[in-house]
Amino acid sequence: MKGNFRQSMKWLHTWVGLVVGWILFFMFLTGTLGYFYQEITRWMEPERPFVEHNISNEKLIDIAQVYLKKNAQGIDEWDIMLPNVRDQNLRVGWRHAPEPGKKRGRYKITVLDIESGSKVESRATGGGRLLYRMHYRLHYLSTDISYWIVGFCSMLMLLAVITGVVIHKKIFTDFFTFRAKKGLLGWLDIHNVLSVIALPFHFMITYSGLLFFLFTYMVLSTNLQVNEDEYNEMRKEIFPRTSQVDSANQPTEMLAISSLYKQVNHQWKTNELSYIEVSAADDINARALFVRHETDITYNPEDQIMINAITGEVISQKTKQYTVTGIIHNGFFSLHEGQFSGPLARWIYFFTGLIGTAMIASGLVLWTTKRKQQQMKKPQGPDFGYRLVEQLNIGTIVGLPIAIAMYFYANRLLPLGMTERADWEANVMFISWALLLIYPAFRPKSKAWLEQLQLAALVFCFMPILNMLTTDKHLGVTIPHGDWNYAGFDLTMLFIGGAFAFSAYKFKQLQGKESKVKRDRKNMTTDNSIMLSKENKRAA
Amino acid sequence: MFLLISFSFTAMTLFCLAMPKHREQVLARELPLWFVASFRTLAWILLALTFYISVDFYGWSIGPALFFGALSGALLPLILSLTYYPKVVPLLATLLPVLAYFISTTGQVSFL
Repeated sequence: MKGNFRQSMKWLHTWVGLVVGWILFFMFLTGTLGYFYQEITRWMEPERPFVEHNISNEKLIDIAQVYLKKNAQGIDEWDIMLPNVRDQNLRVGWRHAPEPGKKRGRYKITVLDIESGSKVESRATGGGRLLYRMHYRLHYLSTDISYWIVGFCSMLMLLAVITGVVIHKKIFTDFFTFRAKKGLLGWLDIHNVLSVIALPFHFMITYSGLLFFLFTYMVLSTNLQVNEDEYNEMRKEIFPRTSQVDSANQPTEMLAISSLYKQVNHQWKTNELSYIEVSAADDINARALFVRHETDITYNPEDQIMINAITGEVISQKTKQYTVTGIIHNGFFSLHEGQFSGPLARWIYFFTGLIGTAMIASGLVLWTTKRKQQQMKKPQGPDFGYRLVEQLNIGTIVGLPIAIAMYFYANRLLPLGMTERADWEANVMFISWALLLIYPAFRPKSKAWLEQLQLAALVFCFMPILNMLTTDKHLGVTIPHGDWNYAGFDLTMLFIGGAFAFSAYKFKQLQGKESKVKRDRKNMTTDNSIMLSKENKRAA
Repeated sequence: MFLLISFSFTAMTLFCLAMPKHREQVLARELPLWFVASFRTLAWILLALTFYISVDFYGWSIGPALFFGALSGALLPLILSLTYYPKVVPLLATLLPVLAYFISTTGQVSFL
């Protein structure tokens, strides 16, 4: 650390970014996929039937209520989730009785077949949810350790974002500047552009990410400053209070929930119902809460209507009590998760998430590009550190997307009756990633880049074909049926595969040219083509 | 959302054209000075309008967030086309908002 302020910030930016860059890349990529976790889960459960769009909400609610009555007896709280734009099947959910030794039972969602009114038996899978959980709850590690690692990395990310703004000399004059040049200059431009155009997102996502585990990270400070009661008071202020009713243990028949919905419909005048929460089901205290587009950031009392499920009276009482602190805190959560967004806004979230991912990748590549010439001049070859960074770059920037593809492959190829199938899907993913991380150690680096790019192109392009071979819901069926959520997955895979193929092609082309050019020019050209792999990352 | 992206695209194009080095990149001939001088002001006005539309559509909670999202969403295509196909930028900047306006007024598209 030396020189003036800007130089020391530059030093900080470089090393802070490098140290946690690969974990951040993992967190950003899996987190970005998380914006589509419901859609991914649906693809990973191909046994689910297509959705019939012409069935009324009343009918769907009846089907759900019949099923719940039969299968969720003794459970106080039922959730009925209606088909929506994202996950078009009718689903019901409840929390099972806790296993011995555990505080809370597992919450399970069941997909219902509308025609038969029974449960859809789908394969055991972690689905999109597991993939998305990985980004803050690193798969194999314990919860506490994961949160601390994730928090540490996010904190450094926040530092990198802030120092990045400080060291960017011409943030306004070079706002639009992107020179498709070879070597360092091109990479610097890519990194700058990706950082600047989505700067509000980068800052928001990192900062709000840190807030998620506020009480874990700030435990020392809270312990010192407040006692137990004050602590509980503080938590109450931050997390909104929801009014709950408990079962009175007096079983009674509830009214048909669909008849209650008629009143709701009368009040809302639209069919926007999103889900129903039934509390104290089939008890004298039974209540049904009807909710439409619910998120904390847009909390609006009119979006929820609570009805007494025995008498059918509307209960006019706010179901959630927000304090100002609560609104701010939950507002940040909502911003981070983007649950409020419609399809196009969701794509924007996804897209900016990929910009973030690509920004990290370009920063990592920039580190090696900057040192390449100097390192290549060394008589005994490049240093160990340099080679390690390059290896991790290849294994992560191209390797991780391949590993994620392997997760999807495992979903289709592992035997259906296998024990711990869902666990093995994830194991396959991490084993593939480990192999791809090791592989570049045994190959010349430029060969390793090319081969992994080609592999990526292959596995992604083959995905829709694999889907066709193993399920009855392939593009030939989903597109005519107009099921764009399902078809969208296959099409996106094809697109990513195409992008990887294109970058592999460009990479090879540039390598071919390079062999004709003088030796000292050599190093610079290679890097330029790596940028194309970055483009892919964006698509991944 | 599409409307927001299109308007942001045009606003950012105006900012971009207000800079001499990008003007050379995009336009074949030099524009009258008074015209160029108005770009930056126009861009700010358009950006403010986009912000207003966003808040009007989505409310004070989501509106500003989606405004920044749209801005990022518009910038990457703009910068890439500046580098690879600079000539299409003015065309896109003119057509997109008009198209988006028609789509939003006909009300056919529900995914906004």
